[in-house]
Amino acid sequence: MKINYRQLSIMVFMSFIALKFLALPSLLYVESKNMSMLVALALMLIDGIYVFVLLDLMKKSGEKNIYEFMKSCLGTVITKLVLILLILKYALVAGNISKGLEFFVVENLYTEFNWFVFVLPLMILVGFMVYKGIRNIARVGEMVCWAIVIGLIYIALKALSGIDILSFLPFFKDGFKPLVDSAWIHLSWFGSATFMFMLFGFVDFRSEKKTEMIKYIIFAILIVQLLYFVFYGLFEVTCPTHNYCISDISQFSSTYSAIDELSWLVVSMWIVAQAVQLGLYGYCMAQAIKYLFDIKGNILSIIIVVVYLLAWSFIGENTIRMEEIFFTPFASIVTFLAQYILPVVLQIAYTIKNRKKKGGEKVKEVDYEREKNRDKEEVKVNI
Amino acid sequence: MKIDAVKTSEQIKKKLHDSGDLKSRNVQFFDTQICILYFAPITDNELLNNTLLYPLINFSDEIKGKDVVEVLRDKVLANQEVTLFSDLQSAIDKLLAGNTLILVDKADKIIGCDMEKITVRAVAEPPTSVVIKGPREGFTESLKFNLALIRKRVKSDDFVVKMLEIGEMTKTQVAVVYFDSIADKKVLNEILKRLQSIKIDGVLDSHFLVAYLQRNKKSLFKQVGDTEKPDILVGKMLEGRVGIIVDGSPIVLTLPFILLEDLQNSDDYYSQPIRVTFVRTLRLVGVILAVLLPGVYIALELYHYKILPTEFLITIMNSTQGIPFSPFIEILFIILLFEILYEANIRMPQYFGMAMSIVGALILGETAVNAGLVSPPAVMIVALSGITFYIIPGQASQFSILRLIGVIIGASLGIYGILLFCVFILSYLCNFDSYKSAYLAPTAPYIQDDQKDSYMRKTIDEMKKRPKSIANNKQNEIRR
Repeated sequence: MKINYRQLSIMVFMSFIALKFLALPSLLYVESKNMSMLVALALMLIDGIYVFVLLDLMKKSGEKNIYEFMKSCLGTVITKLVLILLILKYALVAGNISKGLEFFVVENLYTEFNWFVFVLPLMILVGFMVYKGIRNIARVGEMVCWAIVIGLIYIALKALSGIDILSFLPFFKDGFKPLVDSAWIHLSWFGSATFMFMLFGFVDFRSEKKTEMIKYIIFAILIVQLLYFVFYGLFEVTCPTHNYCISDISQFSSTYSAIDELSWLVVSMWIVAQAVQLGLYGYCMAQAIKYLFDIKGNILSIIIVVVYLLAWSFIGENTIRMEEIFFTPFASIVTFLAQYILPVVLQIAYTIKNRKKKGGEKVKEVDYEREKNRDKEEVKVNI
Repeated sequence: MKIDAVKTSEQIKKKLHDSGDLKSRNVQFFDTQICILYFAPITDNELLNNTLLYPLINFSDEIKGKDVVEVLRDKVLANQEVTLFSDLQSAIDKLLAGNTLILVDKADKIIGCDMEKITVRAVAEPPTSVVIKGPREGFTESLKFNLALIRKRVKSDDFVVKMLEIGEMTKTQVAVVYFDSIADKKVLNEILKRLQSIKIDGVLDSHFLVAYLQRNKKSLFKQVGDTEKPDILVGKMLEGRVGIIVDGSPIVLTLPFILLEDLQNSDDYYSQPIRVTFVRTLRLVGVILAVLLPGVYIALELYHYKILPTEFLITIMNSTQGIPFSPFIEILFIILLFEILYEANIRMPQYFGMAMSIVGALILGETAVNAGLVSPPAVMIVALSGITFYIIPGQASQFSILRLIGVIIGASLGIYGILLFCVFILSYLCNFDSYKSAYLAPTAPYIQDDQKDSYMRKTIDEMKKRPKSIANNKQNEIRR
């Protein structure tokens, strides 16, 4: 069951915006102050470049999944180690989304709340989505994507009038160092393209439109920048005291008196987006576990993922700063290795392997351009 | 083997347990004894007299030395559909299907002649798809008549009718209709395979076949399309679908089926595109309201009442004051009342209808509100949801179940639960493919070209290509 290029682009788009509107903006402000937007912009641009590095690797892998591809380039032992690294990365992201969703729901939607009752349906949903596979997650993403985008733009534009542009001045008051420090500390909130590793062999490139992915990445960056601009412009130096960018911009909270009638719809869509993202990272984690332990079937790996997320729900006190404990330098290292080093290593390993085999057997590469032309008239509606 | 007409006739009667409606007539045709067997209720008596009996009696040509069966087939019954049978069982099967059997003494074949009396009600506008503009013809219970209604619209050599017989006892005629060059062969073969493998005593209506045709038998969602109108059927076949017509049923099944089909209406194709786009959007909003409104109302009332604007909240609080039931029980009570009224209303004789409406709307609704048992907003919410169901009547039964689940989830988990429920339903439907066609196409997967006839509709001349959402052989081909 493969997904098409448009669905992949939408998943990249959703992954790019997924974690950005929870606690990240206020956490970034602690070090990088009014220049926090730049940190997000730089890291998202780097993530964008890595999307294309990974796309190139995906095409080179042809029909091979990530495990087969890495095994052919790096050997079995290193592949297993890399899979552990990827599982860690996915576990961090899935855990963060799950925890973020919990805090968000607790803080904004309910006055009395028993998370245990609420986490069970979420886990059933995640288990179901992971079981149904990547095509299912991609299609759900396709369905909800534009509702989320419209919602985000709505709350950003609504709050735009209250912004004090002068609060962004002066630029680079403390130089570049705080920005670099901030980028490193909060690196694990980025690395949004790592999910693509688990999609090796599951993407049909015949429907590829060259500019589609670029459009979605630029769009994601612009939306994040717009929301950050509004957030920092609205709250200025009080940013670190604000917990959730998305609910605070819309001044939405059913537990407080400041209520906007339409914002709850937007906030609701954001919960949907988080649920889909949890499904995506749950799927990636389950796949990586499957490859690592060579598990036949999906059930066992899904159970592991669900149990992990359930356990994570009960770890730690219910405080918004949980993310600060969660995202230690360890998490930054994991992200750095998984997102920024691994694709480069794979590119090099692939090139060396191909050079060694010069004149001999080459790693089979699919010529998607040729395939595309051949199947010009054939339309795959089942993707 | 030579036939003894009288003896064979007795043999057939015995085999059919001397059925009271089986009639026989013995006629002397020159020096040959002929026995005619037919079932009176299903045989056209006038046709029998005019095309067989009178010509037999008045036949004046010399037949000496000629084969009587050949004379009958080629001269007497030249205008009729004649079949010759070598074995008795096939002849009996045809007799049961409405044929008249002609047993000629000392002949080696039995003649079967189609003299079936077609009793059909007049072609009328089907109650399930009433249109303001466009054709008003609807299918009837006669397969032959229904095929005639299609043939009237299709004059192409590409149109194919494959006849099957399903049902051990009823031996019901089933016609599989499609355009040979458009329908996807894999889909067609799978449908034929499934139909041919059906082992059932009787097929009394086309819906008897639905369970055999749907892939996910336990699913709540509709997987086989249906229509009562020939113009809709032909339109669907032109897009690559296959139609299944069952003798005795005015409802024709169509496959593959996608959810969007129920959002479309035949009226849409005879109206202004802008109006159609507006109406389809309304239908979509109607579906969301129908399924989610009561659940969301309970969630807001129980968990998130602060979300509501103050004036609105005060109105609701004033209305719900003094109601002895919790919002959940209150809504559940009204929903059940609504469902009971609906069931009673559609099954009771028409002359009771007016009285029923008065009892339902005035006595039960009004009195319950006045007595302080239920609140006016709750009645309004359920009524609104109930009405919006019938914007898409084809999905009403599924939606009523989903609404009930939505109410339970809204009462136990609030908005968060309802959102997860929505994602779950979407996720379930996204994986729900019907005969090579994605159930939620052209939205998921998104198919750009098919947006011309999805939630929005463009003019007919802009819809140049066949839809890609439905598996067919000519997806990229320009419609001729």
